[in-house]
Amino acid sequence: MSSGGGGGTPPSEDRILGAFVGLAAGDAAGWPAARHRSLRLAPWSRRLYRELDAFAEERQVTTLPVPFALNQPVEPLALGPSDDAEWLAWTATTIHEDRAEAFGRLVERDDLRARISVWSALDNLAAGLGPPASGHDNPHFFDDAAAVRAVAFGAAGMDPVADARVTNSGDGVLGAVAMATAVGALVRGAPMREAIDAAVGALPEDSAIGLAARRAVAVAREHGDPFAAVPALDAALLGHVYSYGVAAAETVPIALALADAAMSSVSPSASPSSSSSASSSSSSPVGPSGGAFGAAVSAAACLASVADSAPALTGALAGAYAGHAALPEGWRAAARTLTGCCLPEMAGVDLLAVARALASDHGTGSPA
Amino acid sequence: MIDPLSPRDRARGCLLGLAAGDALGAPAENLTPETIAARWGVLVEIEGGGTDDTEYTLFAASLLLRHGHALTSDDVAEAWRTEIVARLDGPMRGAGFSELGTVQALRLGLRPPLTGRWHPHGWSDGLAMRAAPYGIFAAGDPDEAARLAEIDGRVSHGGEGVLGGRAVAAAVAVAMTGAEPGDVIDAGLRAIPADSWTARCVRKAVEIADAQGEGSSREEFARALHDAVVVKHYPWTDLAPEAVALAFSAYIRGGGEVEAAVVTAANLGRDADTTAAIAGALAGAGTGEAGVPARWARRIGPVHGRCLPVVAGRHVLDVADQLADRLAERLGLTGRHVEGT
Repeated sequence: MSSGGGGGTPPSEDRILGAFVGLAAGDAAGWPAARHRSLRLAPWSRRLYRELDAFAEERQVTTLPVPFALNQPVEPLALGPSDDAEWLAWTATTIHEDRAEAFGRLVERDDLRARISVWSALDNLAAGLGPPASGHDNPHFFDDAAAVRAVAFGAAGMDPVADARVTNSGDGVLGAVAMATAVGALVRGAPMREAIDAAVGALPEDSAIGLAARRAVAVAREHGDPFAAVPALDAALLGHVYSYGVAAAETVPIALALADAAMSSVSPSASPSSSSSASSSSSSPVGPSGGAFGAAVSAAACLASVADSAPALTGALAGAYAGHAALPEGWRAAARTLTGCCLPEMAGVDLLAVARALASDHGTGSPA
Repeated sequence: MIDPLSPRDRARGCLLGLAAGDALGAPAENLTPETIAARWGVLVEIEGGGTDDTEYTLFAASLLLRHGHALTSDDVAEAWRTEIVARLDGPMRGAGFSELGTVQALRLGLRPPLTGRWHPHGWSDGLAMRAAPYGIFAAGDPDEAARLAEIDGRVSHGGEGVLGGRAVAAAVAVAMTGAEPGDVIDAGLRAIPADSWTARCVRKAVEIADAQGEGSSREEFARALHDAVVVKHYPWTDLAPEAVALAFSAYIRGGGEVEAAVVTAANLGRDADTTAAIAGALAGAGTGEAGVPARWARRIGPVHGRCLPVVAGRHVLDVADQLADRLAERLGLTGRHVEGT
C-alpha cells in the first residue's frame, strides 16, 4: 500500500494527517497562538490588555500578565491551534470550489479574523476586482496566507496557484508553490532532502524568497541541527527594520531550512540514515521522527518575530514527512480541535477528520 | 512652437513646487481630512521645513548630474553605499521603511535589483517622491524620464513602487513642455502598464477629480478619493499606488496651478508631504517659478540634511539650475527643442 519511499515510510494517509496536525501543532507552539485564541474572549478583555500595555510602558514593567480570561471560559487560553490551522481547514473543505467564489462567500462577513492580504483581497473582491488583481493590488501581497493554505493543495496533489492568486502575488504566490511542492512530494513518500530541494528549485533565484530559501537552507545545513541554526537564521533572514512576521520570504524559507536540518539526515522510520550528518536525535525515545519534529518546530518558535506562522509551516513539512502516528501524542491531542478564533464556524471542528476527508478523496494509494 | 518659459524656469518651478508641497504637507502627514479641517480649516501656510521628499529629490538630482543618461543601478547603489550607508552612525533619521530596508539589503551585500526586492516595502512611495529630477532631466521625453527613474528605483523598490516613480517622472517630463494637466496625467499613465495597481488607482482618482469638478466641496472630494484608493485594512499611508493617485488627482483638481494643487493634496492627509510634493512638482513644471506663491518660496531655504546629511546645504533652486544647464547642453548638442507631446 505504501506509495513510495523506503520500507519504513508511513502510508500516504498518515502523511497527509501528519501535514495537517503537524501544521496545527506548530501553530499552537508559537507565542502568538495564545493571543489569537484570546479572540474567543470578550472584547473588553483585550481592551484591558491594551490598557495594561500602556501601564507597563509607563511604569517600566517588563512582562505583562497577558493573556488572561477574567470571568470567562478558560478553554481558549489552553495550548491549541489558532489562525493557520483554521484557514487550512477552511481550504481543505472548500478545495474543489472555484477559489474566487469560495472567498467571495466571505466578503460580507463581519466575524472573521484574517491577515492583511486576505482582508485586502476580500475588499478587492467586494469592489469587483477578481484574481489575480485581488492578490496583486494588495499591500501584503507577499505574506504567507496562501502558503498556509497551500498545505492542503500539496496534500491533495493539486496546484495551489489559483487559490494563492486570490489573496497574494509575487513572493506570496511563490511561497504557496514552494509549500505545495514540498508537501506534495512528502505525502508521496519522497525523502525530506528531495522535497526541500524541489521546493527551493521552484523559487526563482532573483526573487527575495528564492534567495532567502537558498540562504536559509545553506545556513541551517552549516549549523547541523535546527536549534543551533536559530541565531544564524535570525541574522541572515529576518528584517530588523519592520517585523512583518508573516512575510512568505521569511517564514517559508525558515520552514524549509528547519525541516531539512531536522530530518534530511534521518528516515521516517528508525532505519539507518543514509546521510553522514551526525547531529540528528536518532536515539530519541519517541522515535527519530517525533524527536526531529519537535526539534524543527521548537526552533521555529524561537524566532520571535516569525513565531506566528513559521512554526506552523515547519510543522506541516515535518509532520508530512514523519506521518501523524509518529508525532508526539500530547501534541496530537492538543492540536486536533480548532477553536474558531478566526473563522467562528471552525469552533470545535476536528482537524483530523478534515484531513481524513481530504486524504480519502486524494491521497491514499494514488502516488503522484 | 516656442515655449514662452525656459527649461530653467520650469525646472525651478518644479523643484520649488516640490519643496513647497513637502513643507506644506509635512504637518498633515498621516492625519485624516477631518482632523486637518478641524485643526486648520484649510491648511494653506507652510509651518516648518521640508522633509525626506526634498532631500531624497536632491540626492536623485546629484546622481543625474554626475552620471547623466548613462546612469546605472550599480551607480545608484554605490552612491547609497558611500553617501548614505557609510555616513550612518546610528539610527537613520527621517527615513521611510523602503530606505531602511534598502540599507539593510546593501549591508547584506546584495546588488540591485535584489536590494529593492529583499525588503517587502517595494511598493512604497519613496521613489515617486524623488522622481521629479528625472522628468526635468528628460524634459519632453517621458520614456527616457521613466527609464531613468526605474534605474534609480531598482535599488530601493520593486513592482508598484517602481511604477509610481515611472509615472511621476514621465508626467514631469511632459509637464516640462507646458502641456495641459490632462496630457501630463496621460503621460504618467502611458509610462506604466494599464493592468497595474498604480494605473487602476490613478484612473479612479482622476475620474473623481474630473467628475466632481469645482462644484464639490473639499470634504466630498476627499471622501470620494479615500473610498476609491485607500486600503482599509492596512495601517500605513506609504503605498505608491495610493500616493501617486492622490497627487495626480489633486493636480487635476487644482487645474495645474501650484497653490491649488498643493493645497488640495496636503489637505487630503495620508502621506500628505509626499502627495503635495508630487502635485507641486507637476504644477510647478507647468507654471514655472512664478507659479509658486512668493510667500511659500520665501520659506524654502537650503536643506538641513536631517534625513540625508550628504545633501545638507543644497538649495532646490541651485540644483534646478544645474539640471537645466545639463538639459541645455544636451539640447544644444543635439539641436533638439523641448516640444509638447
